[in-house]
Amino acid sequence: MLNKYKVIAAAAAIALGLTVAGCGSSDDSAAGGGTIAIITVDPANPYWKAEVDTAVEVATELGYETTVNAHGNDPAKQTQFIDAAISAGVKAIILDPAGADESVGAVQKATDAGIPVFLVNAEISAQGIAKAQIVSNNAQGATLGAQTWVEAMGGKGKYVELFGNPTDNNAKVRSDAYHAVIDQIPGFKLLQKETANWDRAQGKAKMEIMLQAHPDLQGVIAGNDEMALGAIEALRAAGKLDKVKVLGFDGNDDAVAAVIAGEMVATVLQPIVDGTKAAVNQAHAFLTDGTLPASEKQAIDCILITKEEAGRLKGFVLS
Amino acid sequence: MKLNPLNRGERTGTSSKLNRRAFIIEIRALVALAIIVIFFSFLSDKFLQYSNLVLMTRHVAMNAILAIGMLLVILNGGIDLSVGSIVGLSGVVAGYLMQGAPVPFTDQVAYPNIWAVLVISLIVGMFFGWLNGLLVAKLNIAPFIATLGMLYVARGFAKLITNGETFTKLSGKPELGNAGFLSTFAARPLGIPLPIWVMIVFAIVFSVILNRTAFGRWLYASGGNQRAAALTGVPITKVNVRIYVLSGFCAASVGVLFTADLQAAIPNMGEFSELNAIAAVVIGGTALSGGRGTIRGTLIGAFVIGFLVDGLVLIGVSVFWQETIKGAVIIIAVAVEEIQRILERRQKLKSAS
Repeated sequence: MLNKYKVIAAAAAIALGLTVAGCGSSDDSAAGGGTIAIITVDPANPYWKAEVDTAVEVATELGYETTVNAHGNDPAKQTQFIDAAISAGVKAIILDPAGADESVGAVQKATDAGIPVFLVNAEISAQGIAKAQIVSNNAQGATLGAQTWVEAMGGKGKYVELFGNPTDNNAKVRSDAYHAVIDQIPGFKLLQKETANWDRAQGKAKMEIMLQAHPDLQGVIAGNDEMALGAIEALRAAGKLDKVKVLGFDGNDDAVAAVIAGEMVATVLQPIVDGTKAAVNQAHAFLTDGTLPASEKQAIDCILITKEEAGRLKGFVLS
Repeated sequence: MKLNPLNRGERTGTSSKLNRRAFIIEIRALVALAIIVIFFSFLSDKFLQYSNLVLMTRHVAMNAILAIGMLLVILNGGIDLSVGSIVGLSGVVAGYLMQGAPVPFTDQVAYPNIWAVLVISLIVGMFFGWLNGLLVAKLNIAPFIATLGMLYVARGFAKLITNGETFTKLSGKPELGNAGFLSTFAARPLGIPLPIWVMIVFAIVFSVILNRTAFGRWLYASGGNQRAAALTGVPITKVNVRIYVLSGFCAASVGVLFTADLQAAIPNMGEFSELNAIAAVVIGGTALSGGRGTIRGTLIGAFVIGFLVDGLVLIGVSVFWQETIKGAVIIIAVAVEEIQRILERRQKLKSAS
């Protein structure tokens, strides 16, 4: 029985997919490749801006039209954009998903409509629906960052942590990887852990108060660069910048400048540009002759950025 | 003065009663503030340290300046949800001008001096406030809707200007004639950060406007009963437009101060700060229906929220509790007032029967 339903469902999906694809190609025959929908988180953040810019650039080079939308990590908005992409009959969707569990339904919907979905930057908690899930290896990157920071601290010290948005899985992954390194070493003491929601202004405000509570702190580990940069501003105002070691994550241009200036010990580059390029190229391969990537889950290693590498890094690309 | 639509006697009659009520609520907000101060100073010996008080007051000041603008709008029975976005937009405009703005139709780049940057940023904020005012006063669009729309429009413009970047080159150069943005707007005259001075000046100036000018009387009158005020000759349209312009002005001031404070113009700056401003106004005893409220109460409200938020971080309460407690305090502060009003009404009914 089950099998029969599965066959029917698959047949329906294929039929639907063919009609949608048919519509798409007849509409867009002049453009050559049709449209690829790019759905990202928030292009006001340099990190996601790099993601969008790369996707648009590569897709345009390959002869596709593009549409760009941003869901701001709101699953409801994400569903709306997926619906819109389905009814517009796009050829493929490049999606930076809004939550691992919350996005499964949206990806399923597009796949059921015959539109291949390629995930970039974050993953979903189900496999076999999206054509590809290309994520940067956050745990590996955070481990690298923590090791460098531990060295800079001289193997001991009192420190505070700025944690990302607690509902974002990456906040926990990075923090866990930091602590897997640091907590093994007996000389370290975590004084306080505060959430600053990935945000520079909040990072500064929280850091200012933590400096009041713990004037003797020696280190800061931050879940991303924006919070680390906020902490650096607070430390600068308090005249403690040279005494406190700050660790960031993401490798955005402001953080790179801070690493070069010696204000930040290190940051970790998420190869978002490489990952996005791969996603669009894999979408193109699939649309051209049905080639699927070798494996659905693809982790790209992060790169540690210290003073030596910082000079070669611009716009999330290491030259 | 003869043409002044509200004669003095009438005004003192109604507003003294209103102010007595506002005064009682202010006392209550003051008690809440005292409880917060005592509570945290018991739990942390750092809380009452001078440097910490200055720091917390600087955090309070940003919200208080926004709240003063918000108070004017709420006194008139309106609401301004766009102030957080105007903070971001004005900050970004200031940042943009400091990077050098290309002059249209030429290939030259203009580097306005910092006072021109300040004035242009403030004008941008006031312009968006003026648009709010027009929508509300001339087109009769509900303030909630008009300013909600402007929330998105202003934030959108901020992101368009930066194109997703963050402006960090704010120090300017002496040879370009635009040096001193950071040293001026993040200055500490007499050891007190500039935002605190701005808060004090705004509080005094707006108190005078509310209590000593025709505009202030019109505002209280039209907030209490718009139709009645219009019939007595209050130019309610003019009042309505002006309060949104002033609210935009307050928001733009915060935008410039915030940018100097962060040493970066970030398009997301000020997100959700409209809600903190509204909370400060309400805790300070202002009626959302309009006509009742004071600057003094609003300042106390801003201190209650600011000291609470920073105090919770200082003693290291988990972030989830921080949010829960902040929300509970806002509700309790307003609920106490409403409960007392219900009790009073019952008592009146009893004595009447």
